[in-house]
Amino acid sequence: MKKIIIVLTVVIFYLPHLSIAQERQITGTVTDEKNTPLPLVSVIEKGTKNGTTTNANGAFTINATATNPVLIFSYTGMQPQELKIGNSDNYNISLSSRGQLSEVIVTALGIRRQKKELGYSTEEVKTAEIIQSHQTNIVNALQGRTTGLQINSGGGAPGQGARIVMRGITSLDPGRPFQPLFIVDGLPIDNNTDVTTGEINGMTNRAADINPDDIESVTILKGGAATALYGSRASTGAIIITTKTGKAGRFRISVTSTYGREKVNKFPEVQKRFTQGFGNEYDSTSFWPSWGPTVEEARVSDPSHPASLYNNYERGYGKGNFFRNTINLSGGTDRATFGASLSQNKHDGVLPFSDFKSYSIKVNGEVKLSDKFRMGASANYINSGGNRKNADRYNEQLSYWAPRWDVMDYKKADGTMNVYGPENDNPVFIANGRNLIDDVNRVIGNVNFMYTPFEWLTFTYRAGADVISDARSETAPGPTGKPDELYPASDFGNYDPERVLGGFIEEYRNNRRILNSTAILSITKDFTKNLTSTLRLGHDIYDTKERSVYVLGDTLSDPTFFNLNNARKVTGSNRKNVYRIIGGFADLTLGWKQILFLNLTGRNDWTSTLPENNRSFFYPSASISYILSEHFKLPGWLSYTKLRASIAKIGKDAPPYAFSTGFIPLNPQFQGGLTLSNRSGDPDLRPEFTTSIEGGGEFRFINNRLGLDFTYYHNTSKDLIIPVSVTSSSGLGEVYLNAGSIRNKGIELSLTGIPVQTKDFNWNTRINFTSNDNKVLSIYPGLTEVVIANQFGYLSSGVTQKFIPGMPVGALFGRSFARYYGSDKEDPTFIDLNRPMLIGTNGFPIINTRQMFLGSSDPDWLGSFYNEFHYKQFGLSFLFDTQQGIEKYNQLSNFMAAFGISPTTTNRREVTTFQGVLADGQPNTKPVYLGQGVGPDGVSYGNGYYRNIYRGVSENFIEDASFVKLRTVSISYNLPTGILEKTKVITGASISITGNNLWLKTKYTGFDPESSSSSSGSIADGFAGFTYPSTRSYMISLNLSF
Amino acid sequence: MKKYSVIIFLLFVLVNSSCKKYLDVNNDPNLVYNPPINSLLVNSTYQTGFNVYRLGNITSYYVQYLASPNSGSDRDTYKEEDLSVTWSAFYDVMTDIKEMMKLAAARGDNASEHMGVAKILLAWNLNMLINSFGDVPYSQALLGKDFLTPTFDNQQALHDTTLRLIDEAITELNKPTPLIRLDGSSDQIHHGDISAWLKTAYALKARFLNQLSKTDSYNAITILSALSNAYTSSDDNATLTTFQGNSPWNQVARNNVNLLLDGWLSEQFVDALNGVTYGVADPRIPLITNLTDEDIYKGTPNGQGRSGTGTNNEESVLTTSGFYSNSGAMLWLITFAEMKFIEAEAAFRNDDKTTAYAAYLEGINAHMEMLGVADTDRDTYVALATVSVGEAALTLDLIFKEKYVAMFLHPEAWTDARRYDYMYKDFTLPVNAALTSFIRRSPYPVIETSRNGANVPAVILTTPLWWDQ
Repeated sequence: MKKIIIVLTVVIFYLPHLSIAQERQITGTVTDEKNTPLPLVSVIEKGTKNGTTTNANGAFTINATATNPVLIFSYTGMQPQELKIGNSDNYNISLSSRGQLSEVIVTALGIRRQKKELGYSTEEVKTAEIIQSHQTNIVNALQGRTTGLQINSGGGAPGQGARIVMRGITSLDPGRPFQPLFIVDGLPIDNNTDVTTGEINGMTNRAADINPDDIESVTILKGGAATALYGSRASTGAIIITTKTGKAGRFRISVTSTYGREKVNKFPEVQKRFTQGFGNEYDSTSFWPSWGPTVEEARVSDPSHPASLYNNYERGYGKGNFFRNTINLSGGTDRATFGASLSQNKHDGVLPFSDFKSYSIKVNGEVKLSDKFRMGASANYINSGGNRKNADRYNEQLSYWAPRWDVMDYKKADGTMNVYGPENDNPVFIANGRNLIDDVNRVIGNVNFMYTPFEWLTFTYRAGADVISDARSETAPGPTGKPDELYPASDFGNYDPERVLGGFIEEYRNNRRILNSTAILSITKDFTKNLTSTLRLGHDIYDTKERSVYVLGDTLSDPTFFNLNNARKVTGSNRKNVYRIIGGFADLTLGWKQILFLNLTGRNDWTSTLPENNRSFFYPSASISYILSEHFKLPGWLSYTKLRASIAKIGKDAPPYAFSTGFIPLNPQFQGGLTLSNRSGDPDLRPEFTTSIEGGGEFRFINNRLGLDFTYYHNTSKDLIIPVSVTSSSGLGEVYLNAGSIRNKGIELSLTGIPVQTKDFNWNTRINFTSNDNKVLSIYPGLTEVVIANQFGYLSSGVTQKFIPGMPVGALFGRSFARYYGSDKEDPTFIDLNRPMLIGTNGFPIINTRQMFLGSSDPDWLGSFYNEFHYKQFGLSFLFDTQQGIEKYNQLSNFMAAFGISPTTTNRREVTTFQGVLADGQPNTKPVYLGQGVGPDGVSYGNGYYRNIYRGVSENFIEDASFVKLRTVSISYNLPTGILEKTKVITGASISITGNNLWLKTKYTGFDPESSSSSSGSIADGFAGFTYPSTRSYMISLNLSF
Repeated sequence: MKKYSVIIFLLFVLVNSSCKKYLDVNNDPNLVYNPPINSLLVNSTYQTGFNVYRLGNITSYYVQYLASPNSGSDRDTYKEEDLSVTWSAFYDVMTDIKEMMKLAAARGDNASEHMGVAKILLAWNLNMLINSFGDVPYSQALLGKDFLTPTFDNQQALHDTTLRLIDEAITELNKPTPLIRLDGSSDQIHHGDISAWLKTAYALKARFLNQLSKTDSYNAITILSALSNAYTSSDDNATLTTFQGNSPWNQVARNNVNLLLDGWLSEQFVDALNGVTYGVADPRIPLITNLTDEDIYKGTPNGQGRSGTGTNNEESVLTTSGFYSNSGAMLWLITFAEMKFIEAEAAFRNDDKTTAYAAYLEGINAHMEMLGVADTDRDTYVALATVSVGEAALTLDLIFKEKYVAMFLHPEAWTDARRYDYMYKDFTLPVNAALTSFIRRSPYPVIETSRNGANVPAVILTTPLWWDQ
């Protein structure tokens, strides 16, 4: 390095004596106040079209043409700097220190505000952290990066949706969207997960269409005052995504390629002692996978029996792989810039035959027509979809499959299903034959302009559209008719009485679009030198329309011709949906001496979903921010203190068509009959309101080396619009009423630090802690509960997730072992676990059929621990993430117990005496045999304890689903600038190796407890049995910039 | 300035009114608001008929026509089972029937056929409900948002209501032919035949009046009078022939074949026909069920469950070829055979043994013909001394014994059993019964106890209904 500088210095010394070109080559590096090199900083020679950007090492080279060149350095979130070039040709620039004070953050409606002005909590996630884990779904990429968000990936399916909740659930209607609003470049986009074709297929949440490689920054607005300007749709918070735009300077290309492999990270344990059959009798064609004799005993009668049994779950999943490429282009001058990106993604999943592909093209441009007028446009086209498998059914059938046989041997030589007996089906064969393929075409586009006729007056307008066309096709073939064919009739569709035909084809089309228009007038006025003000007035229209068609062709004549013409019976339905909301808002910010800021907002919405006289509703907010450290002289180690408080009210409207009553065709259609729809609503429905109070502070210590962000919030949502399930004798099923309230209160803590900061090495660390207390306060008078969802369990041991006043949101209910209370009163809801079990006269425990509280899926707290190290060209980072205090229903273990697969059932040949007391309070002394058939005492035990009793007790299957995960470890290496310069073309190159979901610590006995049986769009999150297993992945990623 | 404020005001007004129209898009386009009256007839008739199956699938376990393949099943052993699905099916169809009545009322005498049929269907459903549950919501029921928690009406008053509705229906159907006719393809029971509906009205009236056999208001004369206007042959039977899916008992038989075990015959019923109980082999049994692999007809004792694995033909079940459960099987809602047995009972209680005996024999014959028993087998059976006992030796026991067979799978059989105090020969409590005496009523469903709990009467399942004292 030194040599080069000497040579350059000598050359440059002589340069002014050359009278040819006046060009000077200026080089340098740009860093931030932490000495971290800043890539993509715009470097422009003032007054010219000359410009460039810094590379991954923060280095730049520019050929200055002016005599006394001045360079302008600018970067989002930093104060721009001008640099007069002197005699030196090499400069090291540090951009805008002094911590948070001049940090600019993107807030509601794309308005960039100084973070110090904000009286509410916001967090920003920069692009470096977003792409670090190389997740394709932006929601997953945010895991563990901020406080206040609970993010759970539904499972490891390619394109699987991820569920995101901000500061708890605020709605009592299981059908309403509860996630934060996703805004991309100022336009709200659709983040639905459409499960019309079936719940358990891992369908994608639509925000996943946004390519994380296109994202420049993500701002999290946590509701209340932060989102008041967005109105009702953001009552659950907003995630503001700003995508990369073109940068002035020479034409730049950046290419990123990622390749990775994955496998399932956790399998349930199975017993390997007992084999196929029932009642301890071996039968190699038996329906029963594991109630037979021991393996040794079976091998006596069947020498072909393998020496050890398979773990079907391990056997049924393979290795997945994925390959992703993105090209980013940008260029422009200080008057016009453009950017473009192309990307491709392919992912083959661990469940055989499942995959996901996507392609995306994005272009954007901005033109400065004059000093007063600027306009821009962008368009993003995405095509995505995959072959989705029903993991719930796959895992269920892996449970029925006898571990004596290899499930991967799924096809006979003639191509038909290979299975050992007529009463079972091979799940791999079914996964191969039954295909649900979705193909989504989506365009997100917007145009915007900004007109500043006077310095104090700005008019901004933005209009955008998000248009989605989702085409899905699900097919399964009919029987081939070959001799001895075993045909999986229950999965491949209905079959006619003679079992000769089968198969089906299902087509679903959903087209929806969002149109959005936002106009803002912004007026700034400085009343005095110390008192500044900004007033913003705005108008907002949000218009959505949706049409869907569903057709089912049942029973195919030609077994593999998947066309509706080929189906014996065709039935269909369609749906339309329209929703519109108009808003008008005002936002006033007053600032005093840059120390104290007061922000007041007010918004009025007019919605299409409430009755005319209640259609308009108004809600205000107020927030205050006080920079204590600017006002008073604080001790040296306290470099920055900001205190903030806010109070806000947000209104929310009803779902569309809530109070329409009419008739619907019978389903299935029958003789043209109609029936009264049993859904109705209060014709005087009012909006619901959430009042949120928030307070907190931001502190920086020891010259910004240590930071603490703290927030406390208390949100109460009232007059909630609930579909109250009423009794059928009222003639209705559900009525939308204003009833009920929910409270969320909690704290968010973020501790950041830079323990080491030297020229070559620095270490950043961050600890996040979130605790949210989510409680149902009340529901409709006379109504005791609202059912969210339930999931089957044998012998009526199904578990239900309910909203019940006084209980946490994720409350789970089911059957339990009866306890002995003697003369004491038994609580109707909570089991007293200290009481002895109640044992019957037959020596076995008694089942309490009353639905009791068994646990809650609402977490007690969330936390994450993040570390980032940089040493010269190397970088290392790792992220731990934990969610604690979660209970879920493990349906897989219920089935495993019923079928003798669970290790719990290994003791089936033992005699035991259950600990507990009889109905009279006397201790139980009766020994009983846990197995099937006749026990050693000569008594017939029938189907055995596990089938008669154990599997019918939900309590046995509610498990602790808390976890600690090592989410991401990433090692990266940036090629040094010296080597790069030798290539002349490449301005940046880096390689990284990343591992995701590397380590898991949990008590849960099934697959990864984070995965869910419910879709990413469902409030229900208490069920995690048969899910698409989560995966551990390793990938290598290469980035080149030109 | 004034000019500007006027312009602004006008703009404001313009924007406001177009805003209103722009936002007036909240009428669900996926609903029908003015249905044709015949489109409501479809579901009203179909679900009423299907409710006979739904209820029959419960009561058949109480009267031991069917037994569960699982030992200790709730329904077999009189445990508190949740019947919300069946309960809701009754109220759902009554909602549609009431909507049809609203449409008919709006058209006055121009829709008297629809009004008449609606009242018959309403009475029919209500009668089935009260005879299973006792007090049920009615006067405050089906009123939507105004009564989300309806009170429960007295069962005796509701029984009078069912009779009143039948009488009103008869009046409506006797009016001159109206402008709006019943549509044959929409009417799932009688396909638009008004005279058939009239006969059915009288048939139901006879059935309802016969339910009062234990009360003081039992009047054999009115029953016989109603019967004279009811069915005259099995051709008048009220049936469902077309279904949305498979014929329901056929679906039960198919489920059983697919190892979703269902439709197993009870030992009580099988033994009544295979000679074990009465020493006589009834020629109807081969037409209903299968021989086991031991070449006998073997039922399962209620509450005991299967003796083997349940998949090896060790017991008699509803088969896919049986009369009640084959793929083309009709669902019998009201039969001529039932009418005959009502006649036999009413005449007997009226000391008219001649009419009673003739009706008794005709009932047996009618049922046998319905099943397709060969004439010779039918005549042999009827000629038996234990069957053709002669007028003088006719007893109520014999009438109930034969009616038990003729009412196989029908929910009215439970009303008969309770009126007869379950005194069928060898009829015992199920194994491990949760009650110490025979079941007298069904438990109120969880949908009521959890969503309308304050109004649900507290009952135990041995508390008899008002007519069952």
